[in-house]
Amino acid sequence: MPEAMGFFTDTTICIGCKACEVACKNWNQLPATNGGVSELSGDSYDNTRKLDGTHWRHVKFIEQFEGPYNGRWLMMSDVIDMNPAAGTAQKCTLCYDRMQVGLEPACAKACPTDSIQFGPIAELRTRAQKRVDQLKAQGEKRARLYGDDPNGPLGGLNSFYLLVDEPEVYGLPRDPKLPSRNLKSSGVLSAATGAVLGLVALVGLRKRRMDEIGGGGERGSEN
Amino acid sequence: MGSNMAECHPVAFRWPMKAKLNGAKLIHVDPRFTRTSAVADLHVPIRAGSDIAFLGGLINYVVNSRRWNTDPFFKEFVVNYTNAATIINKDFKDTEELEGVFSGLGSFSEPPGWPYNGFQGRYDTASWQYERDPKPPGPKTEDLIARRAGPPFDDLVRSLKPGPAHRDPTLQNPRCVFQILKRHFSRYTPEMVEQVCGSPKDKFIQVAEALLANSGRDRTSAFAYAVAWTQHTYGVQMISCCALLQLLLGNVGRPGAGVMALRGHAAIQGSTDVPTLYHSIHGYMNAPSALRPHESLRAYMAAETTPTSYYGNTPKFLVSYLKSMYGAAATADNDFGYDWHPKILGDHSHIATFAAMAEGKVKGMCCVGQNPATSLNGSATRLALRQLDWLVVKDNWLTETATYWYQAPEVKDGRVHSGDIKTEIFFFPSTQIAEYDGSFTNTQRMLQWHSKAVDAPGDCRTDTWFYHNLAKRTKKAYAGSTAPRDQGWNNLLWDFDPDPGVKPIYPGEPDALKILREINGYMTADPHQHLPGFAALKDDGSTTCASWIYCGCYPAPDQNMSARREPDPPGVPGAHLKWGWAWPANRRVMYNRASADPRGNPWSERKRWVWWDPTFVNPPDPKTGIAPPRGKWVGYDVPDFAVTKAPDAKPKPDGIALDALSGTDAFIMRGDGRGWLFVPTGLLDGPLPTHYEPHESPVQNMLYPKHQMSPVHKVWSAGKPWNPLASVGDPKYPHVITTYRLTEMYLAGAMSRWLPWLAELQPELFIEMGKALAAEKGIRNLDWVIISSPRGHIRAKALVTDRIGVMQIAGKAIHHVGMPWHWGWAGLSTGDVVNDLTAWVGDPNVSIHEGKAFVCNVEKA
Amino acid sequence: MSDTFVTASPHWTWFIIPYFFVGGIAGGAYFLAAVLEWFGRPEDRPVIRTGYSLAFWGAVLSGLLLTLDLGRSLRFLNMLFQSDNFPHLMFKSFSPISFGAWALLLFGACAFVSWYAETGGTPAKLIAAVGGLLGFFVAGYTGVLLSVTNRPIWADSPWLGALFLASGASTGAAAIALFAPGRGATERSLRWVTTFDARALIVELLLLIVFLVSLGTVAKAWLSVWGLLLIVGVVGAGILWPLRLHLKPAGAGALRNPAVMVLLGGFLLRCVVLLASNSIEYHRVASVVAR
Repeated sequence: MPEAMGFFTDTTICIGCKACEVACKNWNQLPATNGGVSELSGDSYDNTRKLDGTHWRHVKFIEQFEGPYNGRWLMMSDVIDMNPAAGTAQKCTLCYDRMQVGLEPACAKACPTDSIQFGPIAELRTRAQKRVDQLKAQGEKRARLYGDDPNGPLGGLNSFYLLVDEPEVYGLPRDPKLPSRNLKSSGVLSAATGAVLGLVALVGLRKRRMDEIGGGGERGSEN
Repeated sequence: MGSNMAECHPVAFRWPMKAKLNGAKLIHVDPRFTRTSAVADLHVPIRAGSDIAFLGGLINYVVNSRRWNTDPFFKEFVVNYTNAATIINKDFKDTEELEGVFSGLGSFSEPPGWPYNGFQGRYDTASWQYERDPKPPGPKTEDLIARRAGPPFDDLVRSLKPGPAHRDPTLQNPRCVFQILKRHFSRYTPEMVEQVCGSPKDKFIQVAEALLANSGRDRTSAFAYAVAWTQHTYGVQMISCCALLQLLLGNVGRPGAGVMALRGHAAIQGSTDVPTLYHSIHGYMNAPSALRPHESLRAYMAAETTPTSYYGNTPKFLVSYLKSMYGAAATADNDFGYDWHPKILGDHSHIATFAAMAEGKVKGMCCVGQNPATSLNGSATRLALRQLDWLVVKDNWLTETATYWYQAPEVKDGRVHSGDIKTEIFFFPSTQIAEYDGSFTNTQRMLQWHSKAVDAPGDCRTDTWFYHNLAKRTKKAYAGSTAPRDQGWNNLLWDFDPDPGVKPIYPGEPDALKILREINGYMTADPHQHLPGFAALKDDGSTTCASWIYCGCYPAPDQNMSARREPDPPGVPGAHLKWGWAWPANRRVMYNRASADPRGNPWSERKRWVWWDPTFVNPPDPKTGIAPPRGKWVGYDVPDFAVTKAPDAKPKPDGIALDALSGTDAFIMRGDGRGWLFVPTGLLDGPLPTHYEPHESPVQNMLYPKHQMSPVHKVWSAGKPWNPLASVGDPKYPHVITTYRLTEMYLAGAMSRWLPWLAELQPELFIEMGKALAAEKGIRNLDWVIISSPRGHIRAKALVTDRIGVMQIAGKAIHHVGMPWHWGWAGLSTGDVVNDLTAWVGDPNVSIHEGKAFVCNVEKA
Repeated sequence: MSDTFVTASPHWTWFIIPYFFVGGIAGGAYFLAAVLEWFGRPEDRPVIRTGYSLAFWGAVLSGLLLTLDLGRSLRFLNMLFQSDNFPHLMFKSFSPISFGAWALLLFGACAFVSWYAETGGTPAKLIAAVGGLLGFFVAGYTGVLLSVTNRPIWADSPWLGALFLASGASTGAAAIALFAPGRGATERSLRWVTTFDARALIVELLLLIVFLVSLGTVAKAWLSVWGLLLIVGVVGAGILWPLRLHLKPAGAGALRNPAVMVLLGGFLLRCVVLLASNSIEYHRVASVVAR
């Protein structure tokens, strides 16, 4: 079986240029909203506004003025979403077509600072850990990896990040869980409710019959 | 400084980020807190346009610091490799003595032939010169010019040699350069920096200490700047101030050092090398000028040759260039056709040309990949365009310059009627970069060849096609003329059509490799024998070479060095000599002799780059059969030095060019072989950088109250109604405005505002302002505001941020605002023209405008 | 803050709200009809017929709304078969979307047969048994579907499926109560339906309270116009007011008809649950946090 490939994103060298975003659209021929014209968001220089079917990998610059790593980035990859041009739900394929001919995904290729790195997951994890150690040695005690832990709740993501702050600051969930976690409890509670309502219905029928018996009316024909 | 590298040069910013991964410290000094600031270790705010005060402050701090005065490295570097020890003429007077100007200031009067130079004054530089021994006896230059001596022109060059300059290696002589500059910058204290620049004193000192700690034998520091240092009335002086500081710190000619120009356009380096500049012919030789003693070939050589530097070879470069222009028609008898060459009349730069155009002095214009309708002082520029008889626009889209006659704001609001514009406009759809073969030259002076990847749509043609066919047709039009002025065209060598059997990439397209061959040069007798490098150039017409600095990029028909793509393997210092080709001679670090100490040893193991190997056995000279003595300059890079000249070599008494320099004269392009802290010739606005205020400034010059602005800077169309200027501290325009660029947009937008993927990322023009100003004016984020300058007013949405704001300058609270200038009325993403606010004022040396610091007013719309 | 706040909202169009509403009615109505099919009397036949009709047309409408939401009609097939591997079935036991699509299809089939066959008897009873269970399933799975995401409110409580199911039952009963009189239903049949409806409303109210409590701190996300609509529209107009009308009928008029009010409340419940979550935009939340 081929080695698992994935992304490692080092946010400390991301410069928020959005080359990844444009490269993704270019390679995958994703449309620009409203033919490229929209309104200024008023939010820094960032007019991407939101993640949707045409903005899969997104980096957003947020100013923070203290400390050495004083830019903060929000990012998200692998968003399953509607592509308005195709009319289908799509998600990042890691540029599967490029991989077939030995090319790295468009976003990683376009990233000028190699903030987005693509490669075998195991190798990326080693590289990422080295960078964390280096940052810690330089005094950046908050440096941490996010989503890389193979024993973590999600079993290690194929796209993981180096952060220097709390995950929420980057728009990432602190404690990511699979959505299917709710399936069992929801199902059981629904079934129980169904049973209760069924009982309510039957009790109603029984009461109707009892009322009729008690009221001396016609004998019911229920069987 | 002067650059938002992360956002405006994101691709090149790969390297600072790599350096950061290696533990480098990044400092960003800028009026705005940008993404560059965000990834930097330290951001220091500075008032736009006050950089010389900041850099001068650093110089003053450095030369008085303990580290600089105790580590012997600095003195050794400065004494041996710079002109610190050189004694200056006793007539020289510094700005400290003359309260803001140097000796030699006079007035300037416009020449009648072309009265569009705009100088506010003019320096006579005689008093700035080195104190020298008398000139050695020998033939007089004037006689050699009159006698039409040469080729070879060695005698002429030798006759130019001045007497030796006086030096004081102890640096104690009060007239030595070091003492002069120490006095010159003595008032640039941290306190003064804080007052003039608005930069907090503690942060300024952090910068100075970081630079000192990261300079020396073992470490180097580099500066990167972009157009925020050039677009001023003293932009050249800002950069030379940085060069001065870097020379003092030993950060020149060494790996990881230097002053890096981040060019404003991907191939702008190439356009100045080859060049498209009016004032130089190829390879930075000055264009023959009607205002200079350029009457004849020899007169030009005498005026333009520095005899005691590598430029001593100028006659070889020039004759080879003239052979490239006029081919077989250029002979020694007719001075290689020098008299056919056009001469400039003065300043024909962008603004000067438009100033002349506004007065009806320009008939027609070709705009190829240029969009002046959104350019400097936009309404004046469009006024000038309206005076043209004809205008050619060759671009990818119908840009603002192609549509100003019916869509410009002054036409839309009825001040100008389309029917009154008599200009005939021609539009040529243009190919884009991936649609043809050619080369880029990047900011490292590196040529990289690119090949055509896709066919152009429709009938789009390349720029080379346009000029190639224009030249062919023009030649045809002049054919048969006997008028002397037309002989340049008649004798012009123009041979770029593909050879028979070679299919052009588009019909009528020239062969790009033939153009590259012309630039590289070849043996006149056999064009298939390409020249291997500029050392092979001759002044007798036997070599043909358009651009001496590019000589060697295409040394054989099957060796296009610029197409090479072989990086160095990981783990080596990484000069990457086999990736592309860098002029001159594929050197990656210029003046790299300075990476070794005067004895030729590396300054340190860590900073080893080029060094003297005394044991190297040199092969015999193929011509003479005599082997030079042992020893050679070797290293990771191509040595920027005579490769077999020993570190202890003395100048040859009769030598010209490199023979006139010693084994420690690392700066081989300078007449004294030294880096210039003090610049005796070449600059029009002073031998040392001096803090002046921008032409339009809200505050008085605190350092030199009697001289607010550069005494020699340029004002074009002065007093004309289309270029009004604000006076100092004009209450109508109280705010400092700076213009800038965004990652998603490119220049005037012709290559980005039409692309949906980029347009959606920057959909609208905005003005960035601080919260204090917004509160004062009742402006909320995204409100429409009106921004005005004496030239006009525009509308934009407000982007209220913490990243730019108020500064205390000279006890006054000065608000800064900033605007990206990419917009115009055409394209997908449209907006008002920010350049409608800028003025026709600029730098005296290079005629660039002052777009990075001027004044404006902001009101809620 | 719940991690659900840092996710993007789905690109659902307005079709999904009527689908959830209509699907609930269809499922609830069929279930009640099935109960009467088994345990009712001949006089209940008009009510049964009304329930089957509602179920069948509801299933058709649901299918249409879902298909509309997909954008291209044939894509519905992709929910059922593996497109690359036809005719292998597309079935993912972990995905409510997948098993929901199958349940809706089978439910539609049952509803069609029950509606078309017109007669009772053992085959009808067997179909009704299967269809009745599927009916409750269809009514409830839409809530489960919302819970099996990472969106705020929906994924922050396991009670949404139960709540939607109860609402399906109450709106199904209300729909029958509204339409059955026109089909000749007897007073007694109807009384059973309305009594059931009143009890289902009480269950629904209890579940709603449990649901809101189970959200914990996320409940503050209701501090919006949708929260107001939940209290006034769903609880007030859709549950408490019809309950009061059951106890003390107030005469003619739509606003005085408990069935109409229950249907309105059921519709508003779907609206507020969907929109309250959808209006929480990922990037806004995240920007605020980052600052």
